[in-house]
Amino acid sequence: MVCAHYFDGRSTRVREVNLSIAGADLVIAGEGIDLRVPFADVAVDERLGRAPRRLRLKDGTFCEVRDLDALDALLSSTAHRDGRVDRMQRHLQFVIFACVACVVLAGAAYKWGLPWAAALAAHRLPPAIDKTLSQQTLKLLDGAILLPSKIAADRQRTLSAEFRALRLPEGGTPDSDLLFRRSPRFGANAFTLPDGTIILLDDLITTLGDDRQCLAVLAHELGHVHGRDGLQMLLRSSAVGAFLTFYIGDISALLAAAPAAVLEAKYSQDLEQQADDYGAALLLHNGMSPALLAEALNKLAVAHSGPPSGYLSSHPSTDERMRHLRWLAAAAK
Amino acid sequence: MENISGSEMPSRAASARPPEQLSFSGRGAEYFGIWIVNLLLTIVTLGIYSAWAKVRRLKYFYRHTELAGSSFDFHGSPTRILIGRVIALVMLLAYNYSVRLQSRMTLVVLLALALVMPWLLRNSFRFRLYNTSWRGTRFHFRGSVGGSYRVFLLNGFLTLITLYVMAPFTHQRLKAYQHDNSWFGRTQCSFHARAGQFYLIYLLLLAALVGFFFVMGAAGVGHVLVMFAQMQKQGGHVDPNLVFRTLFIVYGVLILMSLLIGPVFHALVTNLIWSNTRVGEHRIVCNMSPLAMIWITVSNFVLVVLTLGLFIPWAAVRLAKFQLESVRLIPASDLQEFEAAEPEAIGAVGEEAATVFDFDISL
Repeated sequence: MVCAHYFDGRSTRVREVNLSIAGADLVIAGEGIDLRVPFADVAVDERLGRAPRRLRLKDGTFCEVRDLDALDALLSSTAHRDGRVDRMQRHLQFVIFACVACVVLAGAAYKWGLPWAAALAAHRLPPAIDKTLSQQTLKLLDGAILLPSKIAADRQRTLSAEFRALRLPEGGTPDSDLLFRRSPRFGANAFTLPDGTIILLDDLITTLGDDRQCLAVLAHELGHVHGRDGLQMLLRSSAVGAFLTFYIGDISALLAAAPAAVLEAKYSQDLEQQADDYGAALLLHNGMSPALLAEALNKLAVAHSGPPSGYLSSHPSTDERMRHLRWLAAAAK
Repeated sequence: MENISGSEMPSRAASARPPEQLSFSGRGAEYFGIWIVNLLLTIVTLGIYSAWAKVRRLKYFYRHTELAGSSFDFHGSPTRILIGRVIALVMLLAYNYSVRLQSRMTLVVLLALALVMPWLLRNSFRFRLYNTSWRGTRFHFRGSVGGSYRVFLLNGFLTLITLYVMAPFTHQRLKAYQHDNSWFGRTQCSFHARAGQFYLIYLLLLAALVGFFFVMGAAGVGHVLVMFAQMQKQGGHVDPNLVFRTLFIVYGVLILMSLLIGPVFHALVTNLIWSNTRVGEHRIVCNMSPLAMIWITVSNFVLVVLTLGLFIPWAAVRLAKFQLESVRLIPASDLQEFEAAEPEAIGAVGEEAATVFDFDISL
């Protein structure tokens, strides 16, 4: 016998009833109610914590039960079985397993799944997307952060010609635009826009002072072009942002944004490593040593006032990269 | 086996009925099991299960919420929610990419989204209410499409061109549109707060924000500008120290703001809205304490951060318990007398067809 409240679905009137099982039937008896329905026609709500459960009849009426233990005893004499997800939620072992599985899966997805998917998608998206994205970025940067270059025109022409003459490891020559700009804010630097446009800053050319080292830096940037890294970063950060919003968005949208920024900065390190490898391969292909890039990195590290901290830097530590490049140079001999 | 509360009294003559407080009996540890299984299945199914997870989550919270000895229930179908989520995702992508890739299409996409939004939001209100029930009687939302366009497009536009001077007025119009058109069975709800009362709370918010901006100072603003510059530089080389400092200052101030001012504003506005809403002749009183709200928000925040999110289920339960239990219903008559709307009428209004979209917007 289980006490329950019976509702007719037409009003909020509460009727106290008792539930019992007779053969294959559910018997509902109480204030002016005497019902007998085949238990097979009764839908039993899944268990959710200690919330009242409802036994729903086909005509829209139902019984609300709050004595869950008594209900369990009643159900045990019927064909009713708890759903699979219901059992998962209540078993301590499974809950612990779920915790571990979530961490492992999220970690694996972040480390391997996402880079793989982003690379796949980046190489499949139409180049028109990169083009518009880059033109707009350049429009925003020009005049605000990027100023016209002060490098002599013939020096620019020579560098451009040398850059154009590079032979790519996969065949052909670079078809990226090479732009010269000056930026007091970014100092000695070079970067690549999603469509492959490479922007070389004056301070980098003057700091390195050597065309072959400039070419080595450009080789690294061509690695970013080759991997369509700009687009990859965009895709990755969107995905990480979406997941974090889903995960903690319920509590605070702002809270979701902060770790996203940190993860993103950390994320680009593997892309830098890949660009270094591509740059080294390109240099070797053109009869130059990867040590040139290591040399350039060294000069840039010295030129930059504050040494980049390993944690938040978008680049892996310069020492590490130089060691790797010198090792590649030695291995090539 | 709890005792049945005062609403069970058979006598109809009793005029002074005791207030019925909402109660919430969910527990963090219990909800943790549901939450983590939801999370796992969502990850394994690449997000598809999230619709089922949402139904399970809402059912957990609705069914643990009790009024006068009976609990609420949620009836939404996961497949409908899934379809709604796919559509929402497509719209979100369309919005993001059209804003990023400015072209002639951008204006067309934005215009199309603006035109379709009020209709979608109205449908989401209908979905939410139609799928909520108490004692087997469902809620309904009967707001007109025209009313939705008036609130979201006309009032929204007025808010923008008056530089948010009209925002409190728009907020009042929105809540009036929502609550005046809500029904519990055959009983219509009504909304009685005036725009002036919203202005008062918004002025308080403004004063607090101005105070905070002084605290934030020029350094913070400078960092924001630099961060904007860096955001243009997709995948470029970023000065790590600058990023760190920017994050520290900007997020620090924003988080502090959302932790202190946000809860107070939320508590005041929620109290105003619900204390001025009636279900038929039954009145509602909501008195959420702003200080308690700050405490819950701050402690939830700290614990969620320290546990890398594992505290989320406890945080959600605490917040729900606090908010729900600050609401009381002052019955004007016997709570057993509500009548459900006729099922035919529901079909005629086309309630089911409208439930394709489910948007979660917290307005």
